[in-house]
Amino acid sequence: MTAIADSKSFASRRLLESQRRVADLLATIVLWGAACSIVLLLAFFVGYLFYLGAGTISWHFLTAPPSEISAGGGIGPQIFNSFYILFLTMVFTVPVAMGAGIYLQEYARPGAFTTTVQFCAESLATIPSIVMGLFGLIVFVTLLHWHFTALGGALTLTLLNLPALMRVTQEGLASVPLIMREGSMALGATKWQTIRRVVLPSAIAPLTTGIVLIAGRIFGETAALIYTAGVSVSAGRSAYDWSPFHTAETLSVHLWYTHSEGLVPDAARIGNGSALVLLVMVLAFNVLARVLGRLLSHRLTSK
Amino acid sequence: MITSTIGVPEARAECKLQVEDLNVYYGDFQAIKTASLEVPENRVTALIGPSGCGKTTFIRALNRMHDLSPNVRVEGKVALDGEDIYARDVDPVSIRHRIGMVFQRANPFPKSIFENAVYGPRIHGVRSRRMLMEVCERSLRRAALWDEVKDRLHRSALDLSGGQQQRLCIARVLAVEPEVILMDEPASALDPIATSKIEDLIVELKDDFTVVIVTHSMQQAARISDFTAFFLMGDLIEVGTTSEIFTKPKDKRTEDYITGRYG
Repeated sequence: MTAIADSKSFASRRLLESQRRVADLLATIVLWGAACSIVLLLAFFVGYLFYLGAGTISWHFLTAPPSEISAGGGIGPQIFNSFYILFLTMVFTVPVAMGAGIYLQEYARPGAFTTTVQFCAESLATIPSIVMGLFGLIVFVTLLHWHFTALGGALTLTLLNLPALMRVTQEGLASVPLIMREGSMALGATKWQTIRRVVLPSAIAPLTTGIVLIAGRIFGETAALIYTAGVSVSAGRSAYDWSPFHTAETLSVHLWYTHSEGLVPDAARIGNGSALVLLVMVLAFNVLARVLGRLLSHRLTSK
Repeated sequence: MITSTIGVPEARAECKLQVEDLNVYYGDFQAIKTASLEVPENRVTALIGPSGCGKTTFIRALNRMHDLSPNVRVEGKVALDGEDIYARDVDPVSIRHRIGMVFQRANPFPKSIFENAVYGPRIHGVRSRRMLMEVCERSLRRAALWDEVKDRLHRSALDLSGGQQQRLCIARVLAVEPEVILMDEPASALDPIATSKIEDLIVELKDDFTVVIVTHSMQQAARISDFTAFFLMGDLIEVGTTSEIFTKPKDKRTEDYITGRYG
């Protein structure tokens, strides 16, 4: 028994203890509530969109071309364009971002050049997407005379997502323990052999997860595309146009366009349906990222 | 004829690695202070000393592993068959091909047992499936692992036990056919049975290779090594045949350590 404990009466100690217990309980409830509100928000949001949009969804809506004036248009070409621009963007983004990420993580020694690359990537990452869209408008649409094209949109999205994928690559590689690299180098492997045969395969799970998550973000991107890929699907030709030089309104841009400027009488219905399809697809990307990540890391540890 | 000298440390052996005035710095901290050592061919040389004495730092200097860490500086000379491995025109990758290393923590790659065993030959350009299979079997046999894994060569190496993983890492080095094998406390994370398997293996390996092993266990050094070097706080205090070091050390500090008066 210490002197301090002796000096306090039994009752006052009991009081202090119960106050502390109440504070602890309160903190637990508040923090639990905060965590729950995230789940509730998402559930409410998804539920409400289903309530609004589920009636619109039909095979016709998912495949038919949009209508300019009359009701009953679909979003087929927009879905196609969303995937097409996503594909083009990934073709440009993945090699450049991964190349830069591998360089910075595995090769670069601290110095002026490394600092410059990091600084540029961070600056690029902070540019608002609407500003990037404006840049795309100036360069691809006006300067190069491409007009509104899928390619211009994809290149703008590439600029927008390079830094994020570069960071994903760096973090994925950083998660591979040094001892793996040393094991390879100690067998007389070169740096590149070590990266290609040991480091990249070991980082496959975080890399895949990161790439799919970024794909989901690209799929839902809107502001950067309004000025670059355009707000209509290519007129006159087939709506499913594989040429990268056609106007290519995506699903998210279509959602924005019908809600703000659409002339069709069922604009709200089309908008709700598009929003639901977009949401489901973006959520699907997130689920896919988790499943792939878990599957790949599982395969590496035990077959 | 040859076998008559093997296992007899006093018999003359060629000097395989010659370390002269080696200094290693981590930034401003000097971890190895002007150490010189001759490593004889086809013998096991043990590096002993208390934790933090620099034995790991020393062994990593012998195949230029410090090149991978940006703030480590190595000065002095390490000669392999008389050629300085730190000379300007020497490629560290080719040095590590000739001087392999096994680490304290078993570090199999997240690949199959087969792919681990043939990693070295693969990166050095062997393509033929038949040849790779031969190398795989030969090195796994030499590492006393073949019988335990021959039926599951294409399963993940990460499913093996700690001791098996470490023997796989040794097999992986053997497959490269190096001249020298460096081992940094290869059995420190293993149970006694796995440890004794590794020790038997090391004794067999010296028929074909030169072995340098770091160990914190004096018993292990006494059991398996022909020569022993004692490190203390970055200084190489004394080196001699293992029986000399353990029975009649010349330096008072060596004696204090082997009789248990240091950590």
